Amino acid sequence: MSDPLELEVSRALRQVPLRRAPPSLESRVLAEIGRRAALPWWRRSFARWPGPARLGFTMTCAALIAALLAVTWPWAPDAALAGAGARAAGSWLPWARSALTLIDVARELEAALVRVVPLDWLYGAMAAGALLYTALFGLGAVAYRTLYLNTSSAGDFPS
Amino acid sequence: MGSNEHTTVQTSPKEPSSSSEFTTFMRAYQDMVFSTAARLAGNDAQAQDIAQDVFIKAYENFEHLRTSPAAGGWLKTVATNLSLNYLTRYRKRWRFFSEESDVPDVPVPDDAPGSLDADQRQSVIEEALRSLPPHQRVPLVLYHFEDFSYLEIAQQLGVSLAKVKTDIARGRAALLPVLESHGIEGGGE
Repeated sequence: MSDPLELEVSRALRQVPLRRAPPSLESRVLAEIGRRAALPWWRRSFARWPGPARLGFTMTCAALIAALLAVTWPWAPDAALAGAGARAAGSWLPWARSALTLIDVARELEAALVRVVPLDWLYGAMAAGALLYTALFGLGAVAYRTLYLNTSSAGDFPS
Repeated sequence: MGSNEHTTVQTSPKEPSSSSEFTTFMRAYQDMVFSTAARLAGNDAQAQDIAQDVFIKAYENFEHLRTSPAAGGWLKTVATNLSLNYLTRYRKRWRFFSEESDVPDVPVPDDAPGSLDADQRQSVIEEALRSLPPHQRVPLVLYHFEDFSYLEIAQQLGVSLAKVKTDIARGRAALLPVLESHGIEGGGE
């Protein structure tokens, strides 16, 4: 530390004692701890769930993912395996058949739209949507800088 | 350590001794945690939120912390990291919505230097630190209060070493006139 400015500032800052924590901090912390302790286990963070519940949840998620993959398999390259997967899933998950039907309807609607509306129009509409979104974002930024930033302290991050 | 207005709240009826032990633990460290957060965040309200999060984490790890001689260091590290997380979270937004050139200089009072008592000195220095723009205040605080090296600061903040050195130098240069104007010198009173 050879810079005189650094030495000077360092000495001044090191003399500064700790700031007193606000009196409300302790009660805030204890209230929050109490609030969290009163929560039922399923509303706490996953790491604090009981072991069996964590295991059950993980297995249920894995089963759901497997079922979802089986149902959506028809779009994979191997169509034969796909169909088998969908049938298998559909046989033991009736709601999966309904979901599959909904996806089919959406795809047919999309295909019909592409047939009826010229592709250029669709691209134009998407570009216009993106442009409007960008313009809205830009307006928001300008409004923020004009209306909020000018009135806030430079030392504070906007929160 | 400051003595605060104490309120004992029974957080867990099954562990009354643990609860009061944690309260004692918190009282011992709350000034240090709050100071760290306040200096980095530059905002007392945010510092309170950060300090609260630090102590919630401490409570979750209290089994280890209650007997650990390194509890203070652990708390300081968590307070620093949470403060930096907070700043990082807002930094991208800050950069997008603002320009660093908009940041005003630290105001230097016109009045002649007088002899300040310890509280006034602390107040002046804390206020001067708060007035610094975050990109100067944060590396300055990490360097002078938290004993980070330039390289560690650059790594923590994800900026170049040169920028850290420049920002710290500018922060010091901005602080010095304020300190001098109040007759605050490195050598003490």
